[in-house]
Amino acid sequence: MPLRLLLAAVFIAIAGAAMAHPHVWITMRSDVLVGSDGAVTGIRHHWAFDDMFSVFALQGTEAKEKGKYTREELAPLAKVNIESLKEYDYFTDASADGKKVELGEPADYWLDYSDSILTLNFTLPVKTPVKAKELTFAIYDPTIFIDFEFDKKDPAKFVGGAKCKMDVVYPREMTYAEGKALSDIPADAPNLTMAWGAKFANKLLVHCP
Amino acid sequence: MTRSMSPWARCALAAAALIVLVLADTAVAQPFGMSRGAAPPIGGLTGFILEKQAEFYRMLSATIRAAKADGSAGWTLLGISFLYGIFHAAGPGHGKAVISSYLVANDETWRRGVILSFAAAILQALTAIVIVAVAAVLLNATAKAMGETVRVVEIVGYVLIVLIGLRLLWVKGRALLRLLQARPHDHGHHGHDHHHHGHAHGRDHAHGEHHHHEHEDEASAWGHAHAPEPNELTGKHWLRRALSAVIAVGLRPCSGAVIVLVFALAQGMFWIGVASTFAMGIGTAITVAAIATLAVGARSFAGRLAKTKPGRGMILVRALETGAAATIVMFGALLLAGYMASERMGLF
Repeated sequence: MPLRLLLAAVFIAIAGAAMAHPHVWITMRSDVLVGSDGAVTGIRHHWAFDDMFSVFALQGTEAKEKGKYTREELAPLAKVNIESLKEYDYFTDASADGKKVELGEPADYWLDYSDSILTLNFTLPVKTPVKAKELTFAIYDPTIFIDFEFDKKDPAKFVGGAKCKMDVVYPREMTYAEGKALSDIPADAPNLTMAWGAKFANKLLVHCP
Repeated sequence: MTRSMSPWARCALAAAALIVLVLADTAVAQPFGMSRGAAPPIGGLTGFILEKQAEFYRMLSATIRAAKADGSAGWTLLGISFLYGIFHAAGPGHGKAVISSYLVANDETWRRGVILSFAAAILQALTAIVIVAVAAVLLNATAKAMGETVRVVEIVGYVLIVLIGLRLLWVKGRALLRLLQARPHDHGHHGHDHHHHGHAHGRDHAHGEHHHHEHEDEASAWGHAHAPEPNELTGKHWLRRALSAVIAVGLRPCSGAVIVLVFALAQGMFWIGVASTFAMGIGTAITVAAIATLAVGARSFAGRLAKTKPGRGMILVRALETGAAATIVMFGALLLAGYMASERMGLF
């Protein structure tokens, strides 16, 4: 028995501990930026925090008029946000026809505050504009501390790229077969939790002719 | 919040479902608990727990706002906070594992496990309240500064976990080694229990004439003598010893509690946030105590089984304790190394 059972137990404990608890909910809208030649140049995120975290994030930020924050007043906080996000690769993965696409540093960023909701906006350029049959953007936090969700009405749109098409892939429930496959992965398989998070990520599939 | 059912009915239903699921999951533990078909996004029990705790957590902000207008909503808030605590503690996290391993390694009673769980949860509530009171109320610090404070506190806690684990590993590992070495001479199984203040197995060993082979050594390993001292019997001694475990586990505040406190503060109702934090703490304590009790039960079952096989059985029990101690070290080390998720509140 025992050794295999014990190893399995330890592994479950670790796999479980590699997850956090969701404490931040982000409702996002994305703009996919396309140049005049049909190459994708980047993605602009609009991330709206949930009301509780909006208040938390604003703690210590002063506003002239109580309850109203201007973009200028929020600028220092926006800078902190963007700098912290770098460590997490902005929770954004891009790949073109299955190959990883390198993303640059945010070109511009700002925070908006309205109706008690804080929204972080920033543009992530791709290092070199991409022309691909299928370009995929995946947005997720593998530890699920942040729960990302596309805006129901307005998940994503193009800026430029009149001929492009886009599919929005929402996270979905795992099928029985997938669940079984996941539980069959040997304990020493690398990066399991990453694969796990990515599997249920929100995705944008971009097709530009 | 709800369309057809009152929040209370939903809460009660969810709590009942959790209890059933915890029991079911213990019975058929599958990796990730996923092989049973219909799975929510993360899968199985973990997915269900995460979903429920998220649901309660997200009710909190609306209820705090409601409490501002209508004081009676404060009671609803306490109820939701309590249930959030129950589900939150059932989800991923190291607290349960460390407390359970500590109890197994030390062969503590379930009653002590319950006291430990409550002490750790109350301490956790207190650290959240103190951090927000000092940082946000007094210093008007930013969210990022608060996140960094939590990070420092958390590292201290993880270091403590490693130290507690190492100390236990040293004591238990040596006891195991001695037992293994003693076995060929057939003395080993007499000496195993002397450092247990509880003396749960002590009387089963009729071969008293052999005791002197081991027990001096054993006694010094725990730093107290074979014979129970009066203060051990009154139960104060163990609590002092367990204090380090309580601090190690309870030091890191729950991110949720810190966020709720800041939110309540911004609504001008810091005290409502404090009450909510304590309600969460009690809920957390109940879950952790339940899991700790299961661990203690399994440990004493193994102990009873071991008694039927003198010598060999005791080696297994010692090995179990050593393993539990090693688990504590492993958790602490992984947490410190950043392999396990740490909730980076200062992110935004």
